[in-house]
Amino acid sequence: MSKMRIVNKKIDDDLLMKKRREELDKWPTGKEVDFEEAAAYQKSLPDSKVWWKVMVKLREQGKMSVFPRAGTPVLSKMIELCQGLRESGVVLIPVTTDSYTRLGQYEKVQGILDECNKTGKALLNGYPIINQGVKNTRKLVESVDAAFSPRGVSSEICIASGLTTYECGLEFITWGAYSKKMTIRELVEKWQQGTRVAGWYADRGVILCTDLHGWLPTAPYPLSVNIVTLILQALTAAEQGLKAIYPLVHCMGNMAQDMAWIRLTPKIIRKYLDKFGYKDCQIIGCCPAQTPLFPNPMDMGGAFAYLSYIAMVGALCKCNAVDLRSIDEAAGVPTKDTNTVSYGAARWIFDVIREQDIDFVVKGSEAEEVVTEKEVEAIMAKILDMGDGDIIDGTIKAVEAGVLDTPWSPNVNVKDKVLGVRDAHGACRYLEFGNLPFNKYIKDWHRGKIAEREKLEGKKADYHTAVRDLWSFSKGKIVGIPPYDK
Amino acid sequence: MNKTPTVITGTVGMDAHVIGTKVLSRALREAGFKVVELGIQVTPEEFISVAQETKADAILMSSLYGMAELDLKDFNKKRQEAGLQDVLLYIGGNLVIGRYDPKDVEPKFKALGFDRVYPPGVEPEIGIEDLKKDLTAKGKM
Repeated sequence: MSKMRIVNKKIDDDLLMKKRREELDKWPTGKEVDFEEAAAYQKSLPDSKVWWKVMVKLREQGKMSVFPRAGTPVLSKMIELCQGLRESGVVLIPVTTDSYTRLGQYEKVQGILDECNKTGKALLNGYPIINQGVKNTRKLVESVDAAFSPRGVSSEICIASGLTTYECGLEFITWGAYSKKMTIRELVEKWQQGTRVAGWYADRGVILCTDLHGWLPTAPYPLSVNIVTLILQALTAAEQGLKAIYPLVHCMGNMAQDMAWIRLTPKIIRKYLDKFGYKDCQIIGCCPAQTPLFPNPMDMGGAFAYLSYIAMVGALCKCNAVDLRSIDEAAGVPTKDTNTVSYGAARWIFDVIREQDIDFVVKGSEAEEVVTEKEVEAIMAKILDMGDGDIIDGTIKAVEAGVLDTPWSPNVNVKDKVLGVRDAHGACRYLEFGNLPFNKYIKDWHRGKIAEREKLEGKKADYHTAVRDLWSFSKGKIVGIPPYDK
Repeated sequence: MNKTPTVITGTVGMDAHVIGTKVLSRALREAGFKVVELGIQVTPEEFISVAQETKADAILMSSLYGMAELDLKDFNKKRQEAGLQDVLLYIGGNLVIGRYDPKDVEPKFKALGFDRVYPPGVEPEIGIEDLKKDLTAKGKM
């Protein structure tokens, strides 16, 4: 039997309302959500709590903010943590949820949360927003003058609580990053349903903003596949009525590439949104992100330098936000104190560097932009071709054929036939192309760059080179021969 | 190797960190082991049932999200009930939440029944050498 074709088309209202209730019925706090009241509460929020407005204002003023990660289970401690962030100048505040909440294990969470509340200890690695519910989370939102964003969960409990971004069913992006067994078909459908919820609020004058992540390049791997997935997310979200987005750009440490990708990403997403007629979907910023393997928990110096590098690249690219982790990232749950020093360092860079409004192009960056753009266009053309013009149908087929592919994926349905390594200058290159639809020009570009490193090392690059490179950035050496390799 | 030992790999609990367990699995295969690779988000119960089915000689768990202690609270008891006392147990990664001295972490996991405990960033070869030594001592290699 042939599979039903899933296409890029807006979900109808009856189905939407049924799915919304089903989702909320998974835990008793879902009863705290009244859809119309949630929309009214959102409308009553001051501009300083509305994410898209905060980001646009930052852009207009030539300023920027950290978008950190923070979550701890006990409400009073979470309030304290977020107030600490605000005091360090952060106006974009995360509500990072714990790993069990992300997987919907609310009963297990409840047992542990009760224990946390009794002992005051943080036994969960985040804030369990579903179990905390609307009433408690509104207390959090009302305690800090900043905009809030849920991390790792998409539930209307977040919207009703006054958080002003929406993750829209994290599933599409997390494919290739978190999900183990789901297929791309299931994940795409989830993403459509999630973005349709945001569209429902947009119809009522409430603009929720979504940050797009794409498939995370967890190891040194060129960003073109990720940028394609950002475009796909943007187009499908816009069809469901989402009106405000911004991309995360996963920085891998080579400044010429990082800056090229930061310039290219919003531009090329805009191009495709316009091409498909979604002119009213705004891109409200661009947010460099700290994604690859973090220095180990005891290497605080390395962690400091790492987050400062991302802040610096963001400042030089005149971004309005930077997605940063604190020096405690690898240690698990950041404390108020480590957040304060980490984001204080970033703020220093924003105030000193960003405000100089420096015009700065790194040598080689333009060439990187040109190549990445060609790669993105090649994959997009193939997807549209495979889907007979429909991007969802094309995406599903492309994933199944390995035309969209990423290495080191936790999802068993990803082909994982591709591999990346660094070149002699620390830039990310494709070592194995799998079924990526690249022409000879693109392949030769990568092979030529890898050949320079092979000459330096005196051996062919292979899987083991890729494994050694996993640590390169976090150990603070990306150019030439890695120090642990001598 | 006279016998080919069977080892199980995977990331325990709800943890989605995959790279370590993938790298380790391939290194184990290249070192001649039979590897049952369970990937991410493996429940303690799944480790036990797969160990029974495959008559595994060792279980090598990864955890990077700091909640391994919670995930493994009853693991040792269940392992003994399942008659798997003789299966070697290794674990490695970021095993607790917060900054820590690896020396303080090791006894916690030894008390949970683990034979060897590794901090993050250990080369697979080191664990594989230990495994060979421990299996030889048990007469399984």
